[in-house]
Amino acid sequence: MLVTLLVTVAIAWGSLAAMLLAGWEVKLGLDLQGGFSVVLVSAEGTDEDTLQTAVEVMRRRIEELGSVQEPEIFVEGDRRIVVQLPGVEDRERALRAVGTTGDMSFRAVINILPESPYFTDPEGDHPPNINTETGYSDPDDVNEIAYLEAADSFAVYVVGPAFLTGVDIKGGAAQFSSQSGHGAAGGWIVVPDFTDEGGEKFREATGVLAAFPVGSPARQMAIVVDGVVQSAPAVAAGVVVEEGLDPNAVVITIGLSDNPQQESEDLAAILKYGALPTTFERERVESVSATLGEDALRAGLIAGLIGLAAVAIYMILYYRVLGVVAIVGLSVFGATLISALILLGQTQGTTLTLAGVTGIIVSIGITLDSSIVYFERVKEEYHTGRPLRPAFDHAFPGAFSTNLKGDTVTLLAAVLLWVLAIGPVKGFALTLGLATVIDVVVAWFYTRPATWLLSHSRLLDGGWFSIRGAMGKTGSEPPAGHGSGEEPSMVEVGT
Amino acid sequence: MSVLTRMYRGETNFDFVGASRRTLVVSAVLVVLSILLLLLRPLNLSIDFTGGTVVVVSNEADASVEEVRSAMSDLGLGGARVQLTGEGKFIRVQTEALEAGPQDDLIVAVAAVAGVSVNEVTVSAVGPSFGAEVTRSALQALLIFLLVVSVYIAWRFEWKMAVAALAALFHDLVITGGSFAAFQFVVSPATVIAVLTIMGYSLYDTVVVFDKVNENVEDMHDRFTYTEIVNTSMNQVLMRSINTSLTSLLPVGSLLLIGSLAFGAETLREFALALFIGIALGTYSSIFVATPLLALWKEREEEWMRGRRRVERKRAGGDAPEPLPVSTAGDMLDGEAEATDAPQEVPANPAGVTPRPPRKRKKRR
Repeated sequence: MLVTLLVTVAIAWGSLAAMLLAGWEVKLGLDLQGGFSVVLVSAEGTDEDTLQTAVEVMRRRIEELGSVQEPEIFVEGDRRIVVQLPGVEDRERALRAVGTTGDMSFRAVINILPESPYFTDPEGDHPPNINTETGYSDPDDVNEIAYLEAADSFAVYVVGPAFLTGVDIKGGAAQFSSQSGHGAAGGWIVVPDFTDEGGEKFREATGVLAAFPVGSPARQMAIVVDGVVQSAPAVAAGVVVEEGLDPNAVVITIGLSDNPQQESEDLAAILKYGALPTTFERERVESVSATLGEDALRAGLIAGLIGLAAVAIYMILYYRVLGVVAIVGLSVFGATLISALILLGQTQGTTLTLAGVTGIIVSIGITLDSSIVYFERVKEEYHTGRPLRPAFDHAFPGAFSTNLKGDTVTLLAAVLLWVLAIGPVKGFALTLGLATVIDVVVAWFYTRPATWLLSHSRLLDGGWFSIRGAMGKTGSEPPAGHGSGEEPSMVEVGT
Repeated sequence: MSVLTRMYRGETNFDFVGASRRTLVVSAVLVVLSILLLLLRPLNLSIDFTGGTVVVVSNEADASVEEVRSAMSDLGLGGARVQLTGEGKFIRVQTEALEAGPQDDLIVAVAAVAGVSVNEVTVSAVGPSFGAEVTRSALQALLIFLLVVSVYIAWRFEWKMAVAALAALFHDLVITGGSFAAFQFVVSPATVIAVLTIMGYSLYDTVVVFDKVNENVEDMHDRFTYTEIVNTSMNQVLMRSINTSLTSLLPVGSLLLIGSLAFGAETLREFALALFIGIALGTYSSIFVATPLLALWKEREEEWMRGRRRVERKRAGGDAPEPLPVSTAGDMLDGEAEATDAPQEVPANPAGVTPRPPRKRKKRR
């Protein structure tokens, strides 16, 4: 018994201490450490593979942005992607990285106008899908002529059907070029990397564009992402008509910009990881400032500590030395639970959310209940005339079986919630489920040996604090029948 | 000896089933009232269910509500709900669900009024479909959970206990819901979690009591009536119930306290409130709803009716002076119902008299 007890306590406290010493900590959720999360939803019936691909693309894009520690991007349910970016600095860029979802295409510029042709001549011949309010093509069909807005100017681009799409591009790299030539007078450039087929298409298209006079908008090609012209480089002056540009020597120069480096990197990332395989809608955006997260965490911790203190006082007043056993048991339980959370955080990336913290606080009651059921049973056995020491042995199996049944119900609830629910409910289900399992383990491997040892120690008898003191009767005389009212009543419920 | 002392020693013998006639009426009234409230004053659902955007930001610039409001009107969001919370230290703006573009405009505008950077803004934006999805998945989880638990209880105990436990659960959930409707507390995903916890807790508590009843049935069924066994069981688990609910309520209570004081823990408050009400109800209902219902129901069973006749015959015959597990004098709850209801009131039956016709018993039920 002593060995069991010592081993249990050593494992629980030891593992927690070891993990803390190793610098492992519980991984906090976004709501506790601040950060940014987006839930994206795709159209009904999007298949699993497409979602997985989208997750991959988003992950690479986010990593490309840098400055995000441990982004979490995963598929939830059958059509949702959850993006969680703890401690992200630049919300806007992050949103663009996961939100720039749609189709990328290279298209010939037909004209650049100050106003949509739809407004100039509403009755004229226009491509389909014109939004009558904005004058832009909405949604943009890459196989049609379209009126598009530009990312960095107020001009309206009239562009032809796509001659190149995302699948034709393998990637792109942002570079700083100090050389002039190719029209790049030193500055940030993006070097696209085409597939063989894409390169051929590109050569062909630039050969056609080169026929237009230098300076004409029709010599430009538009790089369009999600119906917005991101960049519209012109085919350089020396390019031979019909022959076109060597796709292996193409560079896109970044013009005047506040931050040409970032812009070129963003464009390179878009080229590299292309468009997402399907379109998503932003369904839920949650951004928690770091200070607010800390406040919530602190509040949760303070509440937990106050609650624990109150519970400890009550338990010790009521159950005396057995109360101490229960409270130490709670610490064993807590250490095990936190160790489990740390371990899950390190291996599975599980995070502790506010809902999880509340789950823990709730589980305090459930854990103590195991001890309470047990102690009350001991009291009952004792009052029906059983000597105190055997009362412990006799009470445990029944109490344990009661706890097992109760915990089964709670565990059922937790598992079902884990499987069925989405969002914050999952975090709660996890801690609750863990707690019930640990509760059973603690009851068997800690409470049982601890009370056994205690009942064989000097604390069995003698004084207010002893076990017999907690039983509500003095002396060792066999208990009298109901309501004899003879023995001195020495305790009131400690309230 | 005071009641408290006896409770401490586990020597109480309250007649719970006898008292349940009144408590069941109280519970029924509360349930009906709660249902009416839920129908008349719909729950105050958070944006997580209805869709919408909530922006919270630290009010560095000490902006007034009017200033924020006018900034919102400039964006065409005149209908936005603007509040100063945490004694004016925070600005909270809530609008309906917005498209990505206007949403970003909103965030920028609020940050500007409050005098902080955009990254310091706490935003929560939910599309209307997401809320519906959350609700649907929660309801689905709930139904499956109830089904599985009923099957479990029916298998481990018996189906009548499953029904009684579910009745107690229904009681707890409806009254918790009713109090949320009455005070118009915000129902958020956190409160949904709380409700799920209440379910787990309420069932857990009921299972503990039923377990005791079942155990006592095994030991006592040939000497006592079902009602007596139930009463004995509940007296035995009474202190356990009180202690467990206290040790559960203390941490939740401190959560409630801290949640009401600290700002960042606003969500904690609603959560803790739902939990607090629910746990208290869960303990109450396993004693005063689930178990009495079970006792009243089981007493109608052929086998237990026969058992009751046998027990009475025995006691009347005086050949087995069993100690009565239940006192006949109302200990606290229901003295007057006792006089007519206590079957174990032996002195009423002159010794040696032939057993009473069992019919009489039945009629009273």
